[in-house]
Amino acid sequence: MSEHAEFMGKDVYFWNFIVLMFFTLFEVGAVFFEQIPKNAVWGILIVVGLIKGFGIAAFFMHLRDEHKWFNITFMFPWIFVALMIWGIGLSNPEGVSGLPSWCTPDWTYATER
Amino acid sequence: MSGHGNDVANSIWLRAVMMAGIILTVGVIGFAVLGVAIAGQKHHTWEEEHHHYEDAKEEWQTAVANTDISGDDHSAELYIAKEEAHNTEVAAHLSYLTYRVAGMTMLFLTIAYTSFIGLGGFLNASKPKAGDHGDDHGDGYGDDHHGSASPIIFAFGIMVFLTGLPDFIIACKALLDETVAAELGMLGVSVSGLLIIVVAVSNWWFEDLPFIGHGEQIATSYPFEGDHIRKVGLWVFIMSEIMVFATFFSSYLRMRTEWCTKWAFESSDGGFEGCASQDDWVLTASDYLRPGGAKLDGLGESVGDFWTLLPGGINTFALIISSYTIVLALKTAKNTHWEPSNGIMGKLMPSKKVAIRNYLIATLLLGSLFIILKLVEWSHLVAEGFTIGTVQGSIFYIATGAHGLHVFVGLIIMLYLVFKANTIGFDEKNAQGIEYFGLYWHFVDLAWVVIFPAFYLY
Repeated sequence: MSEHAEFMGKDVYFWNFIVLMFFTLFEVGAVFFEQIPKNAVWGILIVVGLIKGFGIAAFFMHLRDEHKWFNITFMFPWIFVALMIWGIGLSNPEGVSGLPSWCTPDWTYATER
Repeated sequence: MSGHGNDVANSIWLRAVMMAGIILTVGVIGFAVLGVAIAGQKHHTWEEEHHHYEDAKEEWQTAVANTDISGDDHSAELYIAKEEAHNTEVAAHLSYLTYRVAGMTMLFLTIAYTSFIGLGGFLNASKPKAGDHGDDHGDGYGDDHHGSASPIIFAFGIMVFLTGLPDFIIACKALLDETVAAELGMLGVSVSGLLIIVVAVSNWWFEDLPFIGHGEQIATSYPFEGDHIRKVGLWVFIMSEIMVFATFFSSYLRMRTEWCTKWAFESSDGGFEGCASQDDWVLTASDYLRPGGAKLDGLGESVGDFWTLLPGGINTFALIISSYTIVLALKTAKNTHWEPSNGIMGKLMPSKKVAIRNYLIATLLLGSLFIILKLVEWSHLVAEGFTIGTVQGSIFYIATGAHGLHVFVGLIIMLYLVFKANTIGFDEKNAQGIEYFGLYWHFVDLAWVVIFPAFYLY
């Protein structure tokens, strides 16, 4: 759908806005229904986040209508994001408490200073 | 953008001073109503509830001392009455904080807006006109656009401000807490930095305000040949910002996957290593905010419910709506056949210029609402014991605080866009000012799309 295309008399920005609002309600709602298994909520949050992220980047930021180098500029840091999430976020989590004392935050000092 | 600042009459800049006056008046009225009048009443209610709780507590302690009931009996009527009184007192305290913090934030926000737009307007109105010194710039470039020194001065101001930041924080703490010792001299370095920032920003605005669409700098080499340099620069800036927020997110994930949270406990059928019982649970921000979170009151009920999640929820919608209103401002500016619509929208936006300005004002108000609700929410969390002095508090306040800072910076820029929309105006030729700012604003929305579920719902 190009920038000027319309559906039911409304442009792509309006429908993108509606989709973003709907999915935000959906993710908040998923958390309120406590009987939904936590792993399913995890999945819902990630999928909804991807849909919302795509909607904002593709339509509001006009990446869909931009040439490829703007898209590459936007996508390039996600390589590092993926590396950071995999290499720092999800690997060896016990490393936080296993760090040597010299690189562990001194909370007493931080709070009393 | 470096433009022809001297093409704008000084009287136009004086309108910025007037705008600052209006904004400050709104802030003072908001503070008087929310932060003083209503908060005063709420404080009175809180004191009353505190006395009720003290009475209920004394009654329960007396009964325990007389061995009428056991201190461990949580089903005893007096214990339940004490805890209910405690919950009511906490609710009254949080209600007071809501209005007090909202009022104070409104005041501080409007003071910040006034400082930038008022001082900027005053400084720019004081500058000599083009004819006063021979040419339009006084630098021999004539009407051609060229590089601006403002961003460098701005960056220098930030460096100076950050150099003095630790002392600045202590001095600010001393204003709120009489037990903290501080000297006024500690404010010197950071306030100098702030002044440099204001001067740089006002000069930047001075250069941009007359820009009516011609002379935009164009990239001349591959791969962005023919594109506006500002646009390319902004995308590269967004690229670096994505990585900044990724560092917060990855460090949060690393810690989170190690923590024994209620969520981890429930999603692993109780088999999460080192997470044998409720006593081992680590409390995250979402445990205080979302329904069914692990933070419990004295009666064993989760403190998180619809109302505690509401500020974050409203903020999510506020950012999405503000993303849409800035898109509408851009769309209106680019529309060469714009006509007012019928009904109430036609009355609110009778002309293209007013429509653009009002969409930008709506964006500014929604962003301001975001900051106000953010600080209200923080005050509630701190009051309930979720402070920055814990690992989980630290990552939460740093990540959401960095995002809030981005929103605040965006609001300062938006303030200028409102001023420009109300004076010089935007049209299809110079709409890129809104478009490129919009890219930044949408990025801030994009970052929240990740932060909200990760820190509030998970």
